[in-house]
Amino acid sequence: MTSVGYDPAAPGAELERRGIRLGDVLFQGVALAASVAATALLGLIAYQVFSDAWPAIEQFGLSFVWTEAWDPVKDTYGALTFVYGTVVTSIIALLLATPLSIAIALFLTEIAPRRVAAPIATLVELLAAVPSVVLGLWGILVFGPWVRDTLEPWLQSFLGWCPLFSGEPSQAGMLPAALVLTIMIIPITSAICRELFSRTPRDLMDGAMALGSTRWEAIRGVMFAYAAPGIAAAVLLGLGRAFGEAIAVNQVIGGANSIHISLFAPADSLGSRIAAQYQGATSALQASSILYLGAILMVISLVTNVLAQVIVRRFERSRRAY
Amino acid sequence: MTTIPSDDRYDITVRSAGLRRRKLTEKAYAGLAVASAVIAVAILALVLGTVIHRGLSALSLDFFTKPRPLFGQAGGIADALVGSALIVGMAMVMAIPFSILVAIFMSEYAGPRLSVALRIVLDVLNGVPAIVVGIFVFGLLVVGRGQSAIFGAFSLAVLMLPMVARATQEVLEIVPRSLREASLALGVTRWRTTVSIVLPTAIGGILTGVVIAVARVAGETAPLLFTSSIAANQVSTDVTHALPTLPVSIFVFSESPDPNEQAMGWAAALVLILFVLVLNIVAKVVAARQRRRSEGA
Amino acid sequence: MKRAALATFALVVALALAAVAGQAQASSSAAKDTQLVGTGATFPFPLISKWIPEVGKAYGINITYSPTGSGAGIAGITARTVDFGASDAPLSDQQLTDCKGCVVIPWALAAVSIPYNLPGLNGRVHLNGATLANIYLGTITSWNDRAIKKLNPKLSLPDTKITPVYRSDGSGTTFAYTAYLSAVSKQFSSRVGNNTSVNFPTGVGARGSSGVAGVVKSTPGALTYVDAAYSIQNKLQFAMIQNRAGRFTTPGLRGITQAVSTLPKKITSPAQLKIVDPPKAAGPLAYPISTFTYVILPTSSAKAAELRKFVYWAVTQGQKFGPPLFFVPLPTSVKAYAYRELAKVKVAA
Repeated sequence: MTSVGYDPAAPGAELERRGIRLGDVLFQGVALAASVAATALLGLIAYQVFSDAWPAIEQFGLSFVWTEAWDPVKDTYGALTFVYGTVVTSIIALLLATPLSIAIALFLTEIAPRRVAAPIATLVELLAAVPSVVLGLWGILVFGPWVRDTLEPWLQSFLGWCPLFSGEPSQAGMLPAALVLTIMIIPITSAICRELFSRTPRDLMDGAMALGSTRWEAIRGVMFAYAAPGIAAAVLLGLGRAFGEAIAVNQVIGGANSIHISLFAPADSLGSRIAAQYQGATSALQASSILYLGAILMVISLVTNVLAQVIVRRFERSRRAY
Repeated sequence: MTTIPSDDRYDITVRSAGLRRRKLTEKAYAGLAVASAVIAVAILALVLGTVIHRGLSALSLDFFTKPRPLFGQAGGIADALVGSALIVGMAMVMAIPFSILVAIFMSEYAGPRLSVALRIVLDVLNGVPAIVVGIFVFGLLVVGRGQSAIFGAFSLAVLMLPMVARATQEVLEIVPRSLREASLALGVTRWRTTVSIVLPTAIGGILTGVVIAVARVAGETAPLLFTSSIAANQVSTDVTHALPTLPVSIFVFSESPDPNEQAMGWAAALVLILFVLVLNIVAKVVAARQRRRSEGA
Repeated sequence: MKRAALATFALVVALALAAVAGQAQASSSAAKDTQLVGTGATFPFPLISKWIPEVGKAYGINITYSPTGSGAGIAGITARTVDFGASDAPLSDQQLTDCKGCVVIPWALAAVSIPYNLPGLNGRVHLNGATLANIYLGTITSWNDRAIKKLNPKLSLPDTKITPVYRSDGSGTTFAYTAYLSAVSKQFSSRVGNNTSVNFPTGVGARGSSGVAGVVKSTPGALTYVDAAYSIQNKLQFAMIQNRAGRFTTPGLRGITQAVSTLPKKITSPAQLKIVDPPKAAGPLAYPISTFTYVILPTSSAKAAELRKFVYWAVTQGQKFGPPLFFVPLPTSVKAYAYRELAKVKVAA
């Protein structure tokens, strides 16, 4: 096992005399190669998607992103409907999921006794483990009809004056898709928040309470301030997840071709449109337009992801002062 | 901290007129927090409960032994089970050694700057949506060659790589430097140190990372739609062609108007959820053991 | 314990690898030649499902068919990721060029039914092309609209909103249906047009014939266009459509047979096989939304022999499985055209 003693006849002995061990060099080389390959993979993904989208990028330019069109008959395409759908469903999901996630994390770290917190934490994590296609299955067969028959009429009864809640209730549309995304984001965001809250230095909290604040005031004043960048990162990560979800959204969003104001109406998102139409594009331009959608999706996911990381790293450094 | 009776007459803390209101606010927010947790648990119970309730009724021996049905016939998920097992298995073989090597490079050989750069690369890879990975593998491999289970496995491996690599790297960093230094001091080569000393110490965490990654990709549908969705309605182990998989089958069943196919969708979802849940529980147990072991040591 | 777990894990992985290696070797030598992989239209899937076991029995050819939509079928065969593609829409000139040597062979004939979800209605809904076009254009939005009431004087139509459901994937059924609507409505033709994938201004999209049938089944007031076999399989009521003779007809065998009765004696291209909106001379019961469905084969393929056996069987003996599923056996002139095109499929050099 150990190479005690120097054997001049052994292979690699010449190198070893100079302090270079063959095994080490090889191993390091292999590990380096793997790392280079991993980096190259990322570059390759970006390159492949962009080069496949290039014909559409060349044809339509950047205005593709804000053009509302998707007409295979006239062979003109634009991404606005899907960018709108992606952004609206994700923002609604975020607005609903963030306070819920923070509240759940607070419950688990501050309020619940340990015996209750552990199983509930496990349960919330198990929600994260539910595959998106299963949530979509539940969405089509159970949740969608419930939204159409119960939730949307109820919302319309007192919010019907608002164009967002006008129109006919439908089991496939922006609202069911946003709600399904909410269910998907909650476990991720609440897990990160829980980590953050449990890592808040106790002496900060105790100090605040010693000064006479109630527990909620201490949480609001100290814990949130301490965890704010982390929460922002968690929100961004949840947002990135919501942007990228294609399957469950495709199952409940209704595949519309144009933008409708009402949240009840069918819509479509970037990922969902790609999943629905990529395999059956009628022309090369449609195929590369769909890939252009993929490129847009990749870019916005990357941006939110990188933003989240920048925030985490930036504030990790400043937090080290504690 | 002793609790003083909240009678304001004996309140020796700072007399603020709003104390009652502040306490009410405290109670209100606590109530909201509890309600949120209840909502989360309720949603989970709802989803899981529906899957179990509707899925159980469709479970039968036929379900596990017959392949997917053709139009208007009865069937099961035997072919999808075999296909999923093969594809996930191949994805593990492709991803795990690769990920571990990357993690080793990051923790053992790379300088701090390079390590951070690689960490960023992995985190960015982690954030690439599964459907983008799907169209990437489609454009790179499937076009001109046809779908195959191997390409499907490759797309899942791409998804697994950042998860396993980051988990491994984090665990490797926890291994105390003194362990490595002692081994090197004894004359063990650097690579042997890593392979025989550092890795085995970290194996619990690596296993946890692997199990969680497998649980995640076992349910991924989008990449498989592009790489392994045109498959025969029969049990096959030919990995050079596309194989049916559990997530894609669920996806197809979910859109069907046929109540029999919908029932099969629920049952398949039940099988998938059980598999994923079991894996998550295994990961937790292993992680807890690891923690106990390192705390006790 | 950990070591045991690790060992088991390694063993499982090794076994998986061995199984994979063994299979790859076995399959590479044996079954590859007698396996045909195809994808495409969901429209003929009921009939193809009947064909697959029969062809297996007759020739030992193992056929895999995945219904992904005509668009995916055309794309698949163009990229040669499958051995044959199926589509209800014939290839356009551009698609034929892109396909680099493909033949388009009609192999089945059926009709696009218009199922709807109006529970408890006292009769079957009668519709015509103009009304359907307006429904899908969004100008008619509820079931008790004047235009629909005029066609159905005896029905007590509710004021339920109509939800038109369309195919979100590339679909040959969409091609046939929009061909019909474009023929009967100038507004539809200019605003939406005729293609496997069009920009429907209103309604809900769903994937595959199954998907649209599923949405109609679960949504009161919904209506869609789908192969008749799917309507029947899912017990959906379908509408009677008015033809040029003024009669309201159903997508049954007689309706389809009359719709193709005015085909020329010699067929030279799929363009002659457009049978939507047939003329009055076709017959009083002609159903206006009938369509052929095609298989697309490469003219040069390593599996040409198996493909020819399969398609020849489908066009001849396979036709007898059609009628229970509302597929009409191919007319003689079409069969002759199919044989001629099939002869162009040759083994790759």
